[in-house]
Amino acid sequence: MNDRKAKLDKIRVFVDKMPSLSTTVGKVLEICSRTDTAPNDLNKVISLDPVLTGQVLKLINSAYYSLMNKVTSLTRAIIMLGLNTVKNLALSTAIIRCVGQAKKSKALPIKEFWAHSIGVGVTAKLLAAERGLPLAEREEYFVAGLLHDLGKIPFGDEYTEVLAQVLKTQEPLTVVETRLLEIDHEAIGEMIASKWKLNAVITDAICHHHTPQAVQPEHLSLVATVALADFYVCLFDIGYAGNRFPDETLLPLLLKTCGLEWSAVVGLKAAVDAEITKAEIFLQV
Amino acid sequence: MIKVKFWGVRGSIPCPGPHTMKYGGNTACIELRFPEVNRHIIIDAGSGIRDLANFMLANDLPKGPISTEIYLSHTHWDHIMGFPFFVPVYIPGTSIKVFGPVTYEDEPLEAVVGGQMKYRYFPVNMGELAGAIEYRRLKEEPLLDLGDGITLSTTIINHPITALGYRFSFRGAVFCTAYDTEPFRNLFVTDPEHPSYDELMAVEGEEAAREQNQVLQEFFTGADLLVHDAQYTRAEYEKGKIGWGHSPIEDAIASARRAGVKQLALFHHDPERSDAQLDAMTQVYCAEDGGDPMRIFFAREGQEIIL
Repeated sequence: MNDRKAKLDKIRVFVDKMPSLSTTVGKVLEICSRTDTAPNDLNKVISLDPVLTGQVLKLINSAYYSLMNKVTSLTRAIIMLGLNTVKNLALSTAIIRCVGQAKKSKALPIKEFWAHSIGVGVTAKLLAAERGLPLAEREEYFVAGLLHDLGKIPFGDEYTEVLAQVLKTQEPLTVVETRLLEIDHEAIGEMIASKWKLNAVITDAICHHHTPQAVQPEHLSLVATVALADFYVCLFDIGYAGNRFPDETLLPLLLKTCGLEWSAVVGLKAAVDAEITKAEIFLQV
Repeated sequence: MIKVKFWGVRGSIPCPGPHTMKYGGNTACIELRFPEVNRHIIIDAGSGIRDLANFMLANDLPKGPISTEIYLSHTHWDHIMGFPFFVPVYIPGTSIKVFGPVTYEDEPLEAVVGGQMKYRYFPVNMGELAGAIEYRRLKEEPLLDLGDGITLSTTIINHPITALGYRFSFRGAVFCTAYDTEPFRNLFVTDPEHPSYDELMAVEGEEAAREQNQVLQEFFTGADLLVHDAQYTRAEYEKGKIGWGHSPIEDAIASARRAGVKQLALFHHDPERSDAQLDAMTQVYCAEDGGDPMRIFFAREGQEIIL
């Protein structure tokens, strides 16, 4: 029990000084350092980095808004607060991350992890389109997909053993995490989501993308879409975030909730690849 | 009752001279008095606050120490430049609360406003002020209770740095400000042929701009007096002033009218605007129309209005 407490304390300390993903930080710096930053570029470069997106939205909300009017979209934040404010927020956040990047998991290569996150974000957005959801709602699906695996970042080198076990036993990742580390990335994701005061539906995507049956009904549509996107991205090996053998028993529930056939999901392959390539070119990964 | 008095109505920089005698050349400063509860509020510390200080020294100080609250629309220089000349700050016993927004940066409101009181800019350092001055940063606030039955709501308006619109209510009277601001607009690429076009951004940007304009209009709905940015005509605005954070007069009038505002004070006049021009513009924009329930006027220094 004490062992578990010590592990949790270590993770909490890490969550407190959570780093961003270094792959995109350089690009953020480059775009934000220009005096003639284009709104489209700024929006894109921030939103392609899950950690930075969360941090920027958190800062915007704590700095400018009372509890009642929270902003959950970068596009709106840029329209409301102007380019310079959001640019400076992103710039300072990115710099703090560069300096403060004390530690990150060696087990999960950050580039692969980034590719997985982008893949799930892009797929969730395309699935939302396939489901006929309004254009304005789709950005939230993208953000939720990007952020869904935040809970894996605080794991240290002990995660190497988890990943090795997954390959050996062919079990779903959260099962092995719980067995070896006594906590899974959904629970850690919850700590981060609460610290960053992410909104309820994105928090649920982070905390329940492997347990959508536990989510409150009004968030199920988004969480199931993200879970389906995650399943798809894991199955097609887009990037790598450790879950080589996702829980197939959930698939019928996810498809039913989304009102989609598996063939329709697979049919998005070309579009998903194209979107990911676009993102990669933009970030020069 | 709210007694409103304009002590400065200009934008950008003070512009004294023979061509600005009628409307005045001082930058933004508005005084609100609440006689029934003996409260005093100042909005913005532009150069107009110097004359207000003289008035307070002659009329208020003999009755006892001065106690006031200053609400800053934002911290651009024309809205804070009068602060070092607000004489009550040097008088022991004075109590001043300064409220205002701060754009994202590390420095608190105190350093942003007081930063102009350094020896390199001014002979008195902020630390030497004798009055008790408190600073409080404001965010977008749905409703603040200021005591004595006065309430305040704030909303973020559209300016290159964070600026707030204020809505003060007292015993059924409503006074609103919406300056410095220009209509929210979609900042994202809307041309599908453009290489960085993104449909989501284009659509959501359009929607967000429309909704924020609606939010601002609702903010001043039903105001007895709205003081709105009106620095440019629409023609001037479209000719190189988009993105400067100031409104075309035509837009201010249209949205005030939609919001059922009772009196609209056009405010933050361009420093280049002469009395003769403002008189001529009064004929164009403020003509009395029997069917129009809204009174429109270009705000004038020294003008008083009772709500």
